[in-house]
Amino acid sequence: MNFLLEPAIAIYTALAVALTVWIGIFIFLWRIDSATRELRRRLDEEAPAEPPAAPRATLETRNGHTRETVSVTDSQK
Amino acid sequence: MSDRLRLDQAAKILLGVWMAGIVVAMFLVVPQYVGLGDAGRIIILHVPTAWITTVAFAVSAVYSIRYLWKRRASDDAGAVAAAEAGFLFCALATVSGMWFANIVWGTPWNWDPRETTILILLLIYAAYFALRSALDDVERRRRLSAVYNLFAAVTMPFLLFVAPRMAESTLHPNCAFIQGSHCDGIWLELNGARVGQLGDVVLALQGIEQRGDLAVAQVEVRMPGLREVALLTPSFELSSGKPADRPEFPGQQFLLAVEGVDLTNGRVLLNMEAPGTGLLSNSRTFWTFMAANIGFLGLFIWLYRLRADVLLLQDRLARREVAYELPA
Repeated sequence: MNFLLEPAIAIYTALAVALTVWIGIFIFLWRIDSATRELRRRLDEEAPAEPPAAPRATLETRNGHTRETVSVTDSQK
Repeated sequence: MSDRLRLDQAAKILLGVWMAGIVVAMFLVVPQYVGLGDAGRIIILHVPTAWITTVAFAVSAVYSIRYLWKRRASDDAGAVAAAEAGFLFCALATVSGMWFANIVWGTPWNWDPRETTILILLLIYAAYFALRSALDDVERRRRLSAVYNLFAAVTMPFLLFVAPRMAESTLHPNCAFIQGSHCDGIWLELNGARVGQLGDVVLALQGIEQRGDLAVAQVEVRMPGLREVALLTPSFELSSGKPADRPEFPGQQFLLAVEGVDLTNGRVLLNMEAPGTGLLSNSRTFWTFMAANIGFLGLFIWLYRLRADVLLLQDRLARREVAYELPA
């Protein structure tokens, strides 16, 4: 491996290392960029039109008998 | 794929190719510099990253002002993302400068005014990130860090542009701030004022000789602490009108350069320079340097926008978890 550090070769070795580092950084950024875009797309797709409702419980009394009606969210009504 | 996305992708690929071209040019197009050898190539990385640092911190401050005005989460994310990118570029400028200093000045850290102020700037922005991580309440964190960011941004021009110029001497190439140098240099004549002074260095012109395209001056140098008189032979390229060989003053890191020649009347313009002075006078170095500035600016824009996107997504995901979390 010492031949890579010889004066005539060293500049090309340094170039190869610097180029490899840049390509690595570029691929890393590209992948994060793609993943971010995909995640944003999924979140946009599944985002409800209205904000999610709070869980609710209703207590009704009919003919003196208590009846519980429980609905978890508005969307389940 | 929308047109905008396609354009966005094409710009990123162009940036990748552009920066790869700069890396290749840095090693194969930029020439070696007399007295610096291959170390002179670092300027292609060092100076643009330092410039982008100022741009990044300024962009961050603008986002902070917008946040304080409109209270939008996206402005806060932009401020943090730009500050993070600025910090990264600032660290790159510092490390590449230390690398250069180790080769040219013999030690990576000299407490040179610029080295000291850039370290202070790094610490100021490190405190900004520490402040953000110390506050749990989101609104409070955003508001306080935006105010702090504005104070940090105010110190930035002072630390990068004013303070280093107030120092008496610096190792960085800049004629006005090297002790003993003059921006105009001093003219010495064979048939007149042969002796002159640059700071506490006494120069005596002994002769001027033309060797092909070069005019070579023989200059006797007397300095405090120097037992014997040294003879230096700086040269000047007549065709390009630029200094060629710049010998070092004995025992010092500064160089003696011929900045002008009048062969007819036997006159030379001498000046003291720091290593690296005149690097950009070479057109190949200059254009690679300019291309690097554009490339690093593009990289900064990509980096901070991407980081701002990630921060906003993190925020959305956190809110989504809270919204869907049912009581136990």
